[in-house]
Amino acid sequence: MIVLQLVVNGVLLGGTYILLAQGLNLVFGVMGIVNLAHGSIITFVGVFTYWFVTQTNLSPLLLMPIVFVLALGLGGALQRLLLEPLAKLGNRRELLSLMVTFGLSYVIVETAINCFGSQYVSLPNLQATWTVAGLAINEALVVAGVLGAVISGCLHVWLHYTASGKALLATSQNSTGAVTCGIDVRRMRGISFAIGSALAAIAGVLLILILPLSAPTADTLTILAFVIVALGGLGDYKGAVLAGLLLGLVQSGVGYYLGGDVEVVVPYLLLIAFMVLRPQGLGQAAR
Amino acid sequence: MLGGNLRARGGAFLVPLIAAATLFAASTAQAQKPIVVGASISETGPLAVDAAYHLKGIQLAVADANAHGGWLGRKLELKYYDDQSNPGTAVRLYTRLITDDKADLFVGPYSSGISQAVAPLMNKYEKATPMPGASLPAIFSGSNKWTFQLLPPATGYLDGMLPLMKSHGAHKVAILQAQLSFTLACGQARLEQAKKLGMDVVYSTTYAMPPPDFSSIALAIKAANPDGVVVCSYYPDAVGLAQALHRIGYAPKFFAETIGPAEDQFISALGPITNRIISNTSWWLSLKTSGNAGFIERYKAMFHEEPDYHVAATYSAMEVLGAAVKATKSLDQSKLRAWMATHEVPTVEGMFKAGPTGLSIGFAQYMFQIQNGKRLLIWPVADAQAKAEVPYTGQ
Amino acid sequence: MNLDARQVGQWIERRLAAPAAAASVSGPRPLTIGILAALIACAGGAPLVSSAYILQLATDLLTFAALAYSWNVISGCTGYLSFGQVSFFGIGAYATSILVMHTAVPWYVDAVIGAVIGGVSAALLGTIMLRLRGIMFALGMLGLARILMVVASNWNFIGGAAGLTLPAQLTPIAVYVAMWVAALVAFGLNYFLLRSQWGLSVIGVRDEEVAAAAVGVPTSWVKTVAFILSALAPAAVGGLVAWNRSFLDPPSAFDPTLDLQVIVFALFGGIGTVWGPALGTLILVIVGEQFWAYLPELQLALYGVLVIAVVLAFPGGIVGVANRFGWLRRRPVAAPAVFPRVSRPSQPAPPGDDTVIEVRDLTVRFGGLVALNGVSLAVRRGEMVSIIGANGAGKTTLFNAVTGFVKPSEGGVYFQGKLVSDIPSHRRAHQGIARTFQIPRLMESLTVWENTLLAARHGKRRHAAVEQAAWALHMVKLDSLWLEPPGRLSPGQQRRLEMARALALDPTVILLDEVMAGMTRDEQDEIRAVLRHFRDLGVAAVAGVEHIISAIADISDRMIVLDRGRKIAEGKPEAVLRDPAVIESYLGKVS
Repeated sequence: MIVLQLVVNGVLLGGTYILLAQGLNLVFGVMGIVNLAHGSIITFVGVFTYWFVTQTNLSPLLLMPIVFVLALGLGGALQRLLLEPLAKLGNRRELLSLMVTFGLSYVIVETAINCFGSQYVSLPNLQATWTVAGLAINEALVVAGVLGAVISGCLHVWLHYTASGKALLATSQNSTGAVTCGIDVRRMRGISFAIGSALAAIAGVLLILILPLSAPTADTLTILAFVIVALGGLGDYKGAVLAGLLLGLVQSGVGYYLGGDVEVVVPYLLLIAFMVLRPQGLGQAAR
Repeated sequence: MLGGNLRARGGAFLVPLIAAATLFAASTAQAQKPIVVGASISETGPLAVDAAYHLKGIQLAVADANAHGGWLGRKLELKYYDDQSNPGTAVRLYTRLITDDKADLFVGPYSSGISQAVAPLMNKYEKATPMPGASLPAIFSGSNKWTFQLLPPATGYLDGMLPLMKSHGAHKVAILQAQLSFTLACGQARLEQAKKLGMDVVYSTTYAMPPPDFSSIALAIKAANPDGVVVCSYYPDAVGLAQALHRIGYAPKFFAETIGPAEDQFISALGPITNRIISNTSWWLSLKTSGNAGFIERYKAMFHEEPDYHVAATYSAMEVLGAAVKATKSLDQSKLRAWMATHEVPTVEGMFKAGPTGLSIGFAQYMFQIQNGKRLLIWPVADAQAKAEVPYTGQ
Repeated sequence: MNLDARQVGQWIERRLAAPAAAASVSGPRPLTIGILAALIACAGGAPLVSSAYILQLATDLLTFAALAYSWNVISGCTGYLSFGQVSFFGIGAYATSILVMHTAVPWYVDAVIGAVIGGVSAALLGTIMLRLRGIMFALGMLGLARILMVVASNWNFIGGAAGLTLPAQLTPIAVYVAMWVAALVAFGLNYFLLRSQWGLSVIGVRDEEVAAAAVGVPTSWVKTVAFILSALAPAAVGGLVAWNRSFLDPPSAFDPTLDLQVIVFALFGGIGTVWGPALGTLILVIVGEQFWAYLPELQLALYGVLVIAVVLAFPGGIVGVANRFGWLRRRPVAAPAVFPRVSRPSQPAPPGDDTVIEVRDLTVRFGGLVALNGVSLAVRRGEMVSIIGANGAGKTTLFNAVTGFVKPSEGGVYFQGKLVSDIPSHRRAHQGIARTFQIPRLMESLTVWENTLLAARHGKRRHAAVEQAAWALHMVKLDSLWLEPPGRLSPGQQRRLEMARALALDPTVILLDEVMAGMTRDEQDEIRAVLRHFRDLGVAAVAGVEHIISAIADISDRMIVLDRGRKIAEGKPEAVLRDPAVIESYLGKVS
């Protein structure tokens, strides 16, 4: 019984992780860069959601479409301004983009601190817990998990069954080849970063309902998202789903049997283990 | 020649006159030179919110002192810098206050972490310093001579919780601690207390900060089936654990957490599941400690809000400093230190009394409970505003 | 015309660069050294006579300088960008603190021991971390710092989360002096890496790790050493800081904002340069100290903006900007004032008819694809063999297997009769196997001279290496361009540089990978001229993979044809080129 509940917890936690990671995954898959500002976007939106809800008393879920669109626009603009100029630098592009997003993350975090303060905040919405067959299932976690699944599903459909999605997939697999097929690779990069930011924004709205967020600790989320993306095979969104679930289950089990001290190291240990033993991650695609 | 003689004689009077006038002017100028009180405040960074209260306590005390003509006939002047919540910066700033600004008196910074960095410096430079931000007992250990703890030690947090539980017939307890220096000290003390009271610790763990996901820990707690859960926590973990317990539909009969529940947004963050959570504090609005009522009134007049325990701590620190200065009639650090080490001072926080290494042995610990969205003091019973409500139901 | 900032910058650079190049070759003048020494003495002495606050500020400045230089070693010079050098700061801090608390050894000696422990940790951790590249390494180091913080929080012997309290002694001047030593050591390491011949290996690894291995650089060893060097100063500095503050706990030992600041300083000053970290630290700490006082809420945001601005607008940092005006330019390593007179005579290879290179039943599989299928061939002393075949025939794979960049699935590679299949590439280069690359892999940030010197260094003393490099460049007629960066060479010249690099190894055999590709007729003739008398240059044999058959047919002694992983023809060029099987493999069958 306990084991079953642990599994349920692990899966729900995994759902949260998937939600956290897919935005980062998309950006890495298409642009080959790790967006170190990912966690800061999530946290900024999360803290903004808190502020919005406490000011207006409206449901936070109302914000989701709004921040999605705003993040789309801002993400696209930032990509064009800050990352696109690096695209022609060849093999140094990866590391330089890392530095740029590194700097960007600090700008976003400081803006959040100046606008909304530096303390931890969270919201009490979606707190209901349902008991199904003796297992306790929490509403907020289910919503987050379902949304994570929906996003992954939409990504799959979009990438494999629509023209624009296939163009994006092509760009991620071979940008030179994509250019020769007439795909506007620049636009693809802009789109992927915009959508990646938008996904991060949605994650932010939901995460504030699940755990306390604070602007100064935004980078913890980036690292966690990166661990999941790396475990899943960088850029492989199916792998990210597997990795999220794996991480959720492992953490759930370790937390129960070994206590809180070990639980927190699990992501980092898994990351290093995978990087050394199976660098291509869990997904099928080996980059 | 006559004129010259006259001038010479007149001049002879002038010299002592001028000398006397200069001496007089100098002494009044000396009397008018303000007493500089130096401190470093975390105006920016993660500690900024609480440190703001820390600062306001000092500012109120300075204003109060100056309203009564200051100390030793001199006005007080507060000189502070922003340490950006960074211990290294705080060390540099106190060095500057000591050597460059040549402050006369010093008040410690906010938070045990920064205090821990600053205390050795004050010891090295031999400055008698009250530390109203340091609950961590380790700071006031063997080699400490010059700093004084102005908060009740963290080892006493939730002192009354286990006895409260026992009085209701409970004997199984789960004790959790965050891996911060003061929460570990608190947790250690609670574990020892449980043993002394003959209570059964059915589950215990520590967890790192930033806090992990608590869902599996919550399950482990539930599986151990304790009567009460005592958590030595900070803020985000207090929220996280309460959420986790609620999410698995489990509510221990007794639920106590440190620090977190005292923060304003704890209740708005969690809503109804905060009902009947118990927490600790070192000061309360309703206490009848020395000068408390007036202190609260003047603070409200100056800042248009109610003070909290951070304000009370720094205000008390200034009360102690003031008492020492007036009693020794000097600003000499050795004299101040010797006096503070051997005297008791009634303050708004309670009775200040320092042990041999500066550890606080006078201040009392209190517990409050959230009852229907309001925080009420429940322990010690003599000061209580309301009776403790049990059990905790998570609703 | 679409002008962008980078192009304009490069245009200016080219205009200003030329005259400065010659001047930069000479060593530092005594006057410069004297002025520098005087400046350092003043800068060093000033804080000692002013307030304790200034002294503390200066100590902090030196702390950051030491950290910035050490970060520069692994991230700038070696190209392994690290986001977790604070790991070594923390390890050193804890090691020193434990020694201070439990032994009677004086604190400054403890800091040195702490540095050694930091170095040892780097050696151990490097076995795992250095297997990663690029982003993975950067973020792996970040994860490492987090793990170490958690370990420290849980380890009660070193104080756990509560931390350690050290004996409180007021020794600000001694700490200041010790910090100077640490900063100078860190600076010295940088200087050594950027000005010494050994340092060329490091930069080679950074620019082109694969090509570096091909010219004999033991890349794993070099990376490990660089990693260890990058850990020494931070560990010592960590110990000194812990001593100075008389207390240490996990968050202050593994403080991530320390990494951020150090990265910003080094980047701002100029990553991978000798003076960059010092300039960046000096300017940002002093300016920052004043500036942040007015706008403390914006400090981290401004750091972030600085990082972005530097990367986008002036990636070379302050030093990069200075370079454009001819200042602080990097001096090529071991380059005399003028191109050395070539005094090394060319020694002809000893005659003989033994087999220099042989592959027996060589099979190479990549997953399901069979690139080479049981190929056996030999290159004998004194001959030049051309290996031709249609695309996908496996020619480059063959070369990669011979030079050690690809592991054979079956079969063996033999060099002078000895099996070398298990010997790493750089050792094969030492033994005498040299190669060129299909697309020239030249170290872009080194000059033509240094590219060649890197290959010439192995096993030779400085003087001999200089001679060898000069000879090699002379043989391919690149003397006049010896101080140019490879980026300014024409494709033909770049090819010749690759050949010079191969010659500089004093090789027994040279493997040329499509050396004629993209060459004009004249350039092909230049290369053919060198190839014609390879025996006089001391090379025993040459093997060339080639597509432009007309360019090599008349100078080859023998021709081998590969088709889809198998050898299908072998013999004199005229005969092979008429072989119907060969023609069919290229043109297909008319059926």
